Amino acid sequence: MDITKKDVELAGKLANMRISAEETALYENQLKALFNWVQELSAVNTDGVKLSQSDLAAFVRPDVPVQNAVLAQELRDDFAAQENDCAKVKKVL
Amino acid sequence: MMTISQIIHAITSGEKTAEQITRESLSIIAQTNPEINAFVEVFEQDALAQAQAVDAKKARGEKLGALAGVPVAIKDNILYKGHKATCCSKMLANYVASYTSTVVEKLLAADAVIIGRTNMDEFAMGSSNQTSAYGPVKNPVDTERVPGGSSGGSAAAVAAGMVPLALGTDTGGSVRQPASFCGVVGVKPGYGRISRYGVVSFASSADQVGVLAANVEDASIGLEVISGKDVHDSTSLEAPVPAYTKQFTPDLKGLKIGLPKGFLDGLYEDIKERLLAAAKELKKLGAEMVDVDVPLAKYSAPVYYIVTSAEASSNLGRYDGIRYGYSAQNAPDLHAYYEDSRALFGLEVKKRIIIGTYALTSKRYEECFVKAMKVRELIKQDFKKVFEQVDVLLTPTSPTTAFRLGKEGKNPLSLYLADLYTCPGNIGGLAGISIPYGNDKKGLPVGVQFYGPILQEEKILNAAHCLEKTL
Repeated sequence: MDITKKDVELAGKLANMRISAEETALYENQLKALFNWVQELSAVNTDGVKLSQSDLAAFVRPDVPVQNAVLAQELRDDFAAQENDCAKVKKVL
Repeated sequence: MMTISQIIHAITSGEKTAEQITRESLSIIAQTNPEINAFVEVFEQDALAQAQAVDAKKARGEKLGALAGVPVAIKDNILYKGHKATCCSKMLANYVASYTSTVVEKLLAADAVIIGRTNMDEFAMGSSNQTSAYGPVKNPVDTERVPGGSSGGSAAAVAAGMVPLALGTDTGGSVRQPASFCGVVGVKPGYGRISRYGVVSFASSADQVGVLAANVEDASIGLEVISGKDVHDSTSLEAPVPAYTKQFTPDLKGLKIGLPKGFLDGLYEDIKERLLAAAKELKKLGAEMVDVDVPLAKYSAPVYYIVTSAEASSNLGRYDGIRYGYSAQNAPDLHAYYEDSRALFGLEVKKRIIIGTYALTSKRYEECFVKAMKVRELIKQDFKKVFEQVDVLLTPTSPTTAFRLGKEGKNPLSLYLADLYTCPGNIGGLAGISIPYGNDKKGLPVGVQFYGPILQEEKILNAAHCLEKTL
């Protein structure tokens, strides 16, 4: 599997991470080795294997709103400022 | 350090108080931790207060819990309200837990004493405990060697006699491999046996909490306390938790143990010798040893690195300086803010995020991620079939014994291959246990591993308990 410097830079950008030139060179080599190894999976016949949407979504754990009022208050209490049942934080921009 | 049974007996008989036991544990930590670096924080005052509460409970004649007065260490990715939980990352250097994980709640309900938080590979990504922001842990067996990872601090704390029981987490072998390197027992239960509520996520389809202890009985007692369904974790399973130590039998008559073909190929000779010695003893104990085939298990490691990295790239997206993690100052725009904040991840964590993000790009999604997920399904089916033939499997825990600090080799895959025999358990959701079974020619501990089907931990614990007695 051909992995280039651009692939590493793209993945870094998608992940909101700044990757230095040294890191890019390091990761490029390491990803080449890893993804070549991963190509061994192509030897496995997966015809007919069905994956459900839940299988494919299993890697995402949804952020569920807190329904427990006591817990919600405990969480808000960790913040210095509160407003309208919300924790108030400083502007980041 | 005394075993859990000895501690319980000493406290209930009045021979010692819980406070004395806790002070002994704190004293051993004070003496040995400066060199071993197993603990990143000791909760001295809280621990003493908990121990005094146990003593007061006993004085009132109240029934004591199953871990009354037992000092327990928790890995630094397990939340305990009011205490830091940093995942040994600069990203979470100042994070203080706002609630307590279910596993810690259960320990406290059993009257355990939470003694401190242990060192680990950053965000549980590593097999040698060398990626921690707090510096590496040294193996108490040989301080020039690694303790394994990622629960290296927990394994070292037990091996050095600082505590009789420690919690770890295991996504690809992170409880069992360090247990093997440090000469202690490590159990990863089947997927869903233990709640992960309040445990920092790495790869949600593979993460499990596990226990490390000096012997199988102690590990079984600890596992029983923290197991069970939890309404806060929908992946935890509704099933009764057996009294594991009451399931122990004097022999293994009637038990079928599979030795998977291929697991011995190319294995380091000393480890192979110990594994075959274990198989011989198991046969003497009455077990029937059966050669079995799990043909696709050899693909578990590449599947593991694609699937868990993809999940990590999603789970670690929350460390953006707004929801969680370090918050950068003076960024000129939102994108720069994210990049500056996320710059605090270490090299290995960034690499896993890059791998996962790349595997999920439209260019590689079908070829890498979907392919790996399909192979995972076939591996699960392989294990299902093999457990129709045998009750448990016997395998090596690790392809090597503990290696020297900083000497993991130049091959970028070398550390990933450390999980060769442990990650099939996470890919298949199996229960696994590593127990020490002698040493290699350098005198380093060798671990052997039992695998069992989901929700049948009692089978592997019993097999391990019987085998342990043959040493």
